[in-house]
Amino acid sequence: MPGEKNRLLRVTEGLVALIQGFWTTFIHLFRKPITEEYPEYKRPLPPRSRARIILTRDPDFEERCVACYLCSASCPVSCISMQSAERADGRRYAAWFRINFSRCIYCGLCEEACPTLAIQLTPDFETCQYDLLTLVAEKEDLLVDHGGKNQEYNYYRYAGVLVDGDKGGHIQEARPVNLKSNLP
Amino acid sequence: MGWLAGIILLLIKLGVVLVVLLTAAAYLVYVERKLLSRLQIRLGPNRAGPFGLLQPLADALKLLTKEDLVPEGADRFIFLYAPGVVAASALLIFAVIPFGRGWMFMGHEIPMVVSDLNVGLLYVFAFSSLGVYGVALGGWASNSKYSLMGGIRGVAQMISYELSLGLSLVPVVMLARSFSLVDIVAAQAHYPFIVLQPVAFILFFISAGAEIKRIPFDIPEAENELVAGFHTEYSGMRFGLFFLGEYVTMVVLGSLVAVFFLGGWRGPLLPPLVWFSIKVLAVVLVLIWIRGTLPRLRYDQLMHLGWKVLIPLGLINIVVTGGVLLWWGS
Amino acid sequence: MPQLIIDRREIEVPAGTKVIEAAARLGIIIPRFCYHPALGSVGACRVCAVKFLEGPVKGVEMSCMTAAQDGMVVSTTHPEAMEFRRYVIEWLMLHHPHDCPVCDEGGHCLLQDETVSGGHGLRRYLGLKRTYRDQYLGAFVQHEMNRCIHCWRCRRFYQDFAGYRDYGVMQIGNRTYFGRFADGPLESPFAGNLIDLCPTGVLTDKPARFKGRRWDLERAPSLCLHCSLGCNITGSARYREMIRVEGRLNEAVNGYFICDRGRFGFAYANHPERARTPRLDGQEVTWEEACRTAAHRLTRISREYGPGAIAVWGSTRSSLATLGVLQRLCREQGWLGPQFFNSPSRERKVKAAISRLDAGVAVSLADLEKADFLLVAGADPVNEAPMLALGLRQAWRRGATVVVLDPRPVHLPLEFEHLPVPPGGIDLCLDLLVRAAVSHSATEGLLPEAAAAFFNNLSCEYPGDQPLQDRLVSLGMKLKESKNPVIVCGLDIVRESTVVLAADHSRLLRAAKDRAGLFYLLPGPNAFGAGLLSLAGEPSSPSYADMLAAAEQGRIKALVMMETDPFRTFAGQPQFLAALDRLEFLLVLDYLPTPLTDRVQFFLPTTTVFEEEPSGWVNQEGRCQQAAPIYVGGRPISQEGAGSHPPRVFLAGIPGGEPQPGGQTLAALGVALKGTGAPLYLEELDTWLAELNPVFAPLLESKVTHPGVRLLPEARGDYAFSHPNKATLRDVPDDHLELLLVDWTFGTEELSGYAPPTQEVEQPPRLTMQSRDALRLGLGPGDRVSLALGGESITLDLEIVENMASGMMVLPRHRQLAGQKFPEGPILVPLQNIHKV
Ligand code: SF4
Ligand code: SF4
Ligand code: SF4
Ligand code: SF4
Ligand code: FES
Repeated sequence: MPGEKNRLLRVTEGLVALIQGFWTTFIHLFRKPITEEYPEYKRPLPPRSRARIILTRDPDFEERCVACYLCSASCPVSCISMQSAERADGRRYAAWFRINFSRCIYCGLCEEACPTLAIQLTPDFETCQYDLLTLVAEKEDLLVDHGGKNQEYNYYRYAGVLVDGDKGGHIQEARPVNLKSNLP
Repeated sequence: MGWLAGIILLLIKLGVVLVVLLTAAAYLVYVERKLLSRLQIRLGPNRAGPFGLLQPLADALKLLTKEDLVPEGADRFIFLYAPGVVAASALLIFAVIPFGRGWMFMGHEIPMVVSDLNVGLLYVFAFSSLGVYGVALGGWASNSKYSLMGGIRGVAQMISYELSLGLSLVPVVMLARSFSLVDIVAAQAHYPFIVLQPVAFILFFISAGAEIKRIPFDIPEAENELVAGFHTEYSGMRFGLFFLGEYVTMVVLGSLVAVFFLGGWRGPLLPPLVWFSIKVLAVVLVLIWIRGTLPRLRYDQLMHLGWKVLIPLGLINIVVTGGVLLWWGS
Repeated sequence: MPQLIIDRREIEVPAGTKVIEAAARLGIIIPRFCYHPALGSVGACRVCAVKFLEGPVKGVEMSCMTAAQDGMVVSTTHPEAMEFRRYVIEWLMLHHPHDCPVCDEGGHCLLQDETVSGGHGLRRYLGLKRTYRDQYLGAFVQHEMNRCIHCWRCRRFYQDFAGYRDYGVMQIGNRTYFGRFADGPLESPFAGNLIDLCPTGVLTDKPARFKGRRWDLERAPSLCLHCSLGCNITGSARYREMIRVEGRLNEAVNGYFICDRGRFGFAYANHPERARTPRLDGQEVTWEEACRTAAHRLTRISREYGPGAIAVWGSTRSSLATLGVLQRLCREQGWLGPQFFNSPSRERKVKAAISRLDAGVAVSLADLEKADFLLVAGADPVNEAPMLALGLRQAWRRGATVVVLDPRPVHLPLEFEHLPVPPGGIDLCLDLLVRAAVSHSATEGLLPEAAAAFFNNLSCEYPGDQPLQDRLVSLGMKLKESKNPVIVCGLDIVRESTVVLAADHSRLLRAAKDRAGLFYLLPGPNAFGAGLLSLAGEPSSPSYADMLAAAEQGRIKALVMMETDPFRTFAGQPQFLAALDRLEFLLVLDYLPTPLTDRVQFFLPTTTVFEEEPSGWVNQEGRCQQAAPIYVGGRPISQEGAGSHPPRVFLAGIPGGEPQPGGQTLAALGVALKGTGAPLYLEELDTWLAELNPVFAPLLESKVTHPGVRLLPEARGDYAFSHPNKATLRDVPDDHLELLLVDWTFGTEELSGYAPPTQEVEQPPRLTMQSRDALRLGLGPGDRVSLALGGESITLDLEIVENMASGMMVLPRHRQLAGQKFPEGPILVPLQNIHKV
């Protein structure tokens, strides 16, 4: 009967697979382990690895973060908190900005949510501490003086709000409407 | 005076066995981790001491100094004592296992077994069944759904496989005509039972693997479904006791295989104790090898294997053995 | 009643209902920008397009412009309609700036929602974006015109609904601009509603600017406590700080809107100087210790001098629970009080008003909008209860006549008849108007006996003033023709007789016309509740002044002050200070940083309406409403961190989280006083209140749910009319001017006086008088005058107006003025006491 033959075949196949499996693992015994031993050997990580978080600056050396709360909203563990405030010139910024790295799971959602490219994850992962409170990073600890992965983008060059000069001076903007004239 | 010497002797034997067993279990952890990692092309523990040899010590220290948590709503008393049941029942089985030839000391023969019970095999079964209680109670008392499910799975699995375990040994008893483990070893003077009873050996090995809940039978603690199964809520040394129990059981299992099928301490040239150790170690290494190779069974596959394959096979084996014995024996 | 089918579901709606509204009744929310239930349809945005499959209209049409008709079959999800809406949104977004991250609307932005739900994600338009210059619109509203989508909601509210003209629309087509002709603060005290209405980030809440996104806020339905109307609000808090307040729909009270005092006056809850820990002899103590010690001292005083040596003051800004437990404690312990009102005449007026309201005549603000003749006696709505002005305007827009009898220079955003008569003359005018209106019924014998007797008692002699007489006659004729007149009566500046008369006249009008309403304005958000308790508390409690006199004579040894600030509200401040020193024990409980909280040795902090527990409040028409707690109290994080990040510490409790609801503290005090046998003050409060005054019984039967439970007796046939004295126009001697202490929208109300945003817009106090009086005194516009009053003298700017009664001066009860040092009651100032400086 073909069915019977099939079953026999399957049993044999199974047995062979079993033996193959045991053989494979056995052969492994004599191979050189592929482990890299961490503190002695530090493997260079790709730039998009997700570890310690920084707040970057735009090409004008201004803080990029506008404290829009989007990163804190997207953070699945709610470890970002901040307070936005207004600078004298009307620019929105973070009066304080705090990331609790003892909660952060380095998922990178904050970076993805950030509309100004301010918050970025870096490959620097050696941040362990014994005291939890020392893992709470304030804005001073997070702010760096470069643009991180993107050196060009400047949110305020595209936004409609004014920080300096007259309206209509930003990228892709027309001159402001003159209310006192009907000429186009 | 005889009884006093007997008690002292017993205590010494107990002490020695206990120390050896516990150390063996501890280093078994090391051996397992090391071997497993090599099977997977890794390095394994290599930080504590040379080649990581002090790892068991570090582990023990860590477990001892960790906070002993009892979850809210747990049945406190049972929760606290369940790990003890597991560890103790595993240790107690060793009482009936002969690990060497009798030893002449000051004219007395000192048997190399803690206690040579004439119902030794039943005793072994009794205590291996007691281990179920540790699992079931620990899982139930934790007041956690993972633990409870782990516990229930454990009970179902262990009760199912106890059957085939028992059935697999009936031919051995039939051959040895005794329940005493010492007698079983004696019965293998010419050739080990593995030669006569290869089917029983395989049955026993698989069932025993299931009894000690190791991969591929670790369904009660299946990490990726149940966190850690019945011992999810345990921490510190109470977790350590479960852990210890598992590895002691491994040693015990190795010894049982050696006693029932590999001729116990018997062997040419080398002293009996060494032979015994080699056999135990071999079994244990095979167990580790299995762990390093096989994936976990599904629950239904496990039940299928136990009830539909192993038990019928065991029954057939008994009938065949009985028939052969009838044919030849008399 | 047309019947139509929307998305395969059938519904029957009143004729004239728009399809968008009919869909809303089925729970289908069609996208909209320009349509608003309160503002109606204009069809400006085109985003509410739906597909009409069958019936009188076919094809894709605007659901906000199409009235529901029989046989219509509408699909809101038809591919054609969806595509249309998607394009509309893309058009609307053509010029929209790249702003969301720095825009305060983001997170509760209708445009964001519709853009996302419409599926428009990437900009395809590559041209230049139109831009506008923004304007400064005052302290409340932030302007960012680039974000406008030209829905016209703001203009429609500001000019049509609220009746102010300084904000509107300029330019045409794609260049349409919404703003003022020139920069400057918005004049309307309802301008804050633009923030709620604007579906984009053009008009946003300035005090709440950048404080937090909607998803981070703790929000709960609450109530406005800044006047007696009880407008419904939604409060938002973040980081233990009240952030903003929005209007909340209550069809029976405020509709969708609130006034700016209610919107921006909440910040007293965040006041940095608010005392937040129980204090005993200057030391901070635990609650248990505080209660124990307070009970101990009160017991001792009660034992030594009798329970009558302990006096209790309350106020009208406490919740019903606090007032009730206070009353119960006084009853049980035999203490003097509680006195909830700071002056005896005010107490009498409130009691007179409350005892004369019943379910038959009392109207809500919503009912008032349906009246066709509004007789406003002695009330200045914009200043006393701003939302009343908006209500009057809605009535006026529907064709109602509005008559204001008030000596003050009343402004209303509508056309109205202002008869600037002195307080004493309001009675006369009321009499004459109503008399003219119902005389036909009286002569035809249509009035019931009691009403007829009252009618015959009315004054009928017109004052010598001919123009006034003519106006009264013609208004009397209008009142006669009206079908649904409502008398609105303020309690602040009127004589006590006017309060009674307003009730009598409403009954008379009701007898003559079947329908008439009565609408009082009361002093304080819970004045009605306090009044109900006072009415039940016969014999009535002695006044603040009497109690202080007793304290000075040593008959009163202890004073318990529950959420009341005599420095601000009580007219006899010097007397109060003198009496303070003679007291053995002064216990102050409050949530405001009043001048007392620092002065006293024994202080217990209470919570504001926004914290901790739900609280009940009874508005001026007897509607008991509930304010849900918004957040757990505590010192705001912004103050904890002094503007920077909050301190990095682990704490068991919330810093500054000690305050507990006043009623709860009083109940604990009661337990400490009575020991184990003490009643369950809070749990049994409703039962106890209902026993005290049967009007409270509805609290037992139903939970206080939206839109509130009315605590009013049924209308009874045997209303007891009063016997009024013959009224005259003027009751002030000619060589005196009467000084009226009045309320302003900003600057006089107690709670908003502690809020920086409302402080910012308040004007400095000024003295107002009629040009004839100024001429008499030789004063001109722009002069500074000094006013001598009972030993005190104050100097302020003079404002001269035409539209007020002569023989009067008007002065705000301004928080910047020590006005509370003035004597109580009608203040007559001899002419020689007014000087130019
Ligand atoms: S990486 Fe993830 S967890 Fe960490 S701060 Fe960002 S969003 Fe939060
Ligand atoms: S998302 Fe970016 S800009 Fe917004 S608050 Fe976070 S870091 Fe700042
Ligand atoms: S108005 Fe709305 S869509 Fe426009 S920038 Fe503000 S949040 Fe974004
Ligand atoms: S300012 Fe706001 S409410 Fe006014 S038209 Fe523009 S989007 Fe509409
Ligand atoms: S909501 Fe109908 S056109 Fe705007």
